[in-house]
Amino acid sequence: MSQDLSESLKEFDLAKCVQCGKCTASCTSSRDSNLRTRRLVFMVKSGKDVSMDKDLWTCTTCYACQERCPKGVKVTDAIIRIRNAAARSGNRPSIHLTAIRSLLDSSDGFPITPDISKIRSMIGLPIAPFDVAHDEKEKERFRKLVSSLPIAGMAKEG
Amino acid sequence: MAFALFPGCIARNMYPSIEKSTQMVFKELGLVLVEVKFTCCPAPGVIRSYDFDSWLVIAARNLAAAEEKGADLITICNGCYGTLEAAHRHLSKHPESVAMVNEKLSAIGMSYRGTSKVLHFVDVLDQMLPQIISKIKVELGLKVAIHYGCHYLKPSCESGRNVESPVVLERIVQALGCESVDFPEKLSCCGAGGGVWSGDEKVSLGILDRKMRFIKESGADCVLDICPFCHLQLDQGQKRLKNRYDVPVLHLNQLIGLSFGIKDKVLGVHTHMVATRDIAKKAKRARKESEVEA
Repeated sequence: MSQDLSESLKEFDLAKCVQCGKCTASCTSSRDSNLRTRRLVFMVKSGKDVSMDKDLWTCTTCYACQERCPKGVKVTDAIIRIRNAAARSGNRPSIHLTAIRSLLDSSDGFPITPDISKIRSMIGLPIAPFDVAHDEKEKERFRKLVSSLPIAGMAKEG
Repeated sequence: MAFALFPGCIARNMYPSIEKSTQMVFKELGLVLVEVKFTCCPAPGVIRSYDFDSWLVIAARNLAAAEEKGADLITICNGCYGTLEAAHRHLSKHPESVAMVNEKLSAIGMSYRGTSKVLHFVDVLDQMLPQIISKIKVELGLKVAIHYGCHYLKPSCESGRNVESPVVLERIVQALGCESVDFPEKLSCCGAGGGVWSGDEKVSLGILDRKMRFIKESGADCVLDICPFCHLQLDQGQKRLKNRYDVPVLHLNQLIGLSFGIKDKVLGVHTHMVATRDIAKKAKRARKESEVEA
């Protein structure tokens, strides 16, 4: 694992972990996936590189582990930081690219569809929501804002 | 302080019935809203997991847009709350992050100052419980399976919320003349967060399946959520699970709207994937009874 990541995880107090396993026992995802939070924390503490671990991406970020940790380790926040490092090293599920590109281009991760426009009209809402996505000038400003962000680079690389 | 509704992209673009119900309920309660053009919050699961700083800049743009109108934000979604409240909290403690987001925002003539608060609509409604009670026209008497979801309650490090045995939704549901039913896994995640909804269908539906089984066994008439993303998972997810549970799903503002005597088709509740007709029938019957009494 890179020295940088190891250093940046310090604020989440992983060093305090006593491997009690309450995190894994509380994990919503663990019963349906191979994510084992206790093991992940152990690996990080041992200096192992976990950034290519694909189970990282089955955490629902529900915060149950972090809330219940008796030592106050900020487990979920650490997982998010590790995911950032993973994404930078190329371990990022490509399935999310559609939503990311849509966000960067239209300002919405989930853009409106013709079916939903029909429902909006049927229930008496304006067909176009009052938002940046339906204001060309605002949308252009938003595109300018996001064009220099790291996530725009990731979206381009694929 | 004025309020700006932050509807979020799922309420606007996938479940407009939630946007409509929210507008009607807020209007009934006399909550005056200023209109602000927002973007996606952005989604905490995917965007924050990819790049924290990018997530922070886009969130700060939304916060700054509310600041320009002098408004506090009211979110109706745990995901939007999870992003906007967390971004606001992070910025309040990290001046170097404020400098970073403001350098980016300056390119489009905006700036973040931290003057607008981020509120979850459940807290706003809880403060207005007497007004809500005074507007109730029909007592629905439904058995309700409450689903809190995750990011309203957690992380609790700053908010000090009661994470393991919260009571706020139980209080509101009871005030509406409904009954909150208990069930195992009540406080667990719906399985949609963290990018898992789009990233891993097997895991996402596995989590939902377990939760729905307990909800079905509880005998609930409906499952109640306070988040359009949980709503999407609970409603569309049941369809993806071959509809074996068939439990109608209501956002809190929809349950309140029905209790205010607003018809299901006006609220748009009939546009959900899992049929809500049994709920609508009960609401109609209760409406007629209340008219006879009047």
